[in-house]
Amino acid sequence: MCWRERVWMVEGLCPPFLASSPAAYPHLSSTALDDLSYDMTIILNQCLSHPSLHPKNLTISPRRKSWSLNLDIMVLSDSGNVYDALFLAARSALWDAKVPKTRSVQYQPKSNILGDQDVEMSADGSGSIFNTREVAKAADFELADYWDEGEPLEVNQEWPVCVTLNLVSAKLLPTYFLDATPHEEASIPLRLLLLFSFSPSGTRLQSMRLMGDGEIQLESMTQLLEGGENHARKLFEALEKKLEEEDLRRNQKAQAKFDLR
Amino acid sequence: MASRVEILNDGGFRSDGRKQYELRDIVIDLSQQGSADGSVVLSHGLTQVSASVFGPREAKMRSQTLHDRANINIEVTFAPFSMGERRKRSRNDKRVLDFASTIKATFEPAIQTKLYPRSQIDIYINVLQQDGGVLQACINATTLALAAAGIPLLDFVCAVTGGVQSASPLLDLTTLEENDVPHLTVAVMPRTGNITLLTMETRLHVDRFEEIFQLVTSAGHVLHKEMKAAIKDRTRTLVAAMSVAPKAVGEKDPLYSERMDDS
Repeated sequence: MCWRERVWMVEGLCPPFLASSPAAYPHLSSTALDDLSYDMTIILNQCLSHPSLHPKNLTISPRRKSWSLNLDIMVLSDSGNVYDALFLAARSALWDAKVPKTRSVQYQPKSNILGDQDVEMSADGSGSIFNTREVAKAADFELADYWDEGEPLEVNQEWPVCVTLNLVSAKLLPTYFLDATPHEEASIPLRLLLLFSFSPSGTRLQSMRLMGDGEIQLESMTQLLEGGENHARKLFEALEKKLEEEDLRRNQKAQAKFDLR
Repeated sequence: MASRVEILNDGGFRSDGRKQYELRDIVIDLSQQGSADGSVVLSHGLTQVSASVFGPREAKMRSQTLHDRANINIEVTFAPFSMGERRKRSRNDKRVLDFASTIKATFEPAIQTKLYPRSQIDIYINVLQQDGGVLQACINATTLALAAAGIPLLDFVCAVTGGVQSASPLLDLTTLEENDVPHLTVAVMPRTGNITLLTMETRLHVDRFEEIFQLVTSAGHVLHKEMKAAIKDRTRTLVAAMSVAPKAVGEKDPLYSERMDDS
């Protein structure tokens, strides 16, 4: 993370940056690859830049300085269903991101006191210790700790999970399938991306996007949304489990291994 | 106040605990990635690089084909998160293009391009983590990916970096060491001992050159053993999957043992 001075009130994310390795799309020329990366970045950005997803603890000093969060995603290989993977990757990457703790400091210049004093001056030369008239607004900060310590980013639960419904028929009884391979993707003209966020305060449909040629009936939306929510919830729970396992492996088991040594 | 990190302390240990001539841990993963003909993820310590090979196949741009041999096309991408500070490098950045053409020049003598006229061999390299020895890792990964893709090579190309810290030679440098110490990278073809790449971008005293050059070349031979073992392992698995298992204990499949002969 880097800190940046922000004059206005919004703190938080820079737009996510997506790069595709040419190995992921070997049939595309480099300009087409750039275009595709840009398209995917736009979708990511539109879904994830909503203020409700902004982490709340990125401020260093209110209205002056805040941390800026950069999210970089790289597609190494694409074998279908890349959007689900992108949003899963974004969520996983932010899961254990930590914000460094800071401490506000204010430099006070040595005051010019004319004449000698026979009274001992305090170290910073600020004169009387009872200086309650001015309340210093700290404009600078320093890092209170190094390396991996810090507070976890306050977005854990809210970050959404994406599920792509590949629509076979979107008439009254919508039929769809999940997790398409490249051949299946090529055969289906219409796809619906649904982003759900599951937090203790409730489920929320974060974002929705219809991609491709075709149209769907409004009446079938309810069923699609319900189905999508169920699938997304299962995906969310599976991901949580996996991340907790990984967390366990990194911290507790690693500690146990170290202790054994 | 952090004390200055010693590159090589009095006990003969480096900043990461290695001895002078010790190479970093090598991890070679030859599993399939996407639809590549050959792919590998290679790590030298914390430097991690992935290479994918497609080809020989029809060229995307006819203008780039050569009438008597295959065209080698190398594209290198540096992940923005690969270094300590985030840096987005565009694909047409001069340094990146220079890097790619260095690797291409290294492999021109090694790949048997005359066997595939008017076609193209695409090699895509992704640098995932950088901790020194990136060129070395890219070259080694490319060799492995080419071998995994079944493209005929005259020989492996094995690269190692080496540097000299006040008269003491060091092998396989990390970022910390590369920033401090004059260093060079050598790529050697082990069977003949021919060098296909020798680069140095820092200043080194000419008296120190011969020693470090010899050392790095012999380190290349050591690396060759590791890389060969990894390829053989993978081939063994593939051949076992393809051929019928021997009927009885002691009865050997002649094709199997012929293929696995050391040559």
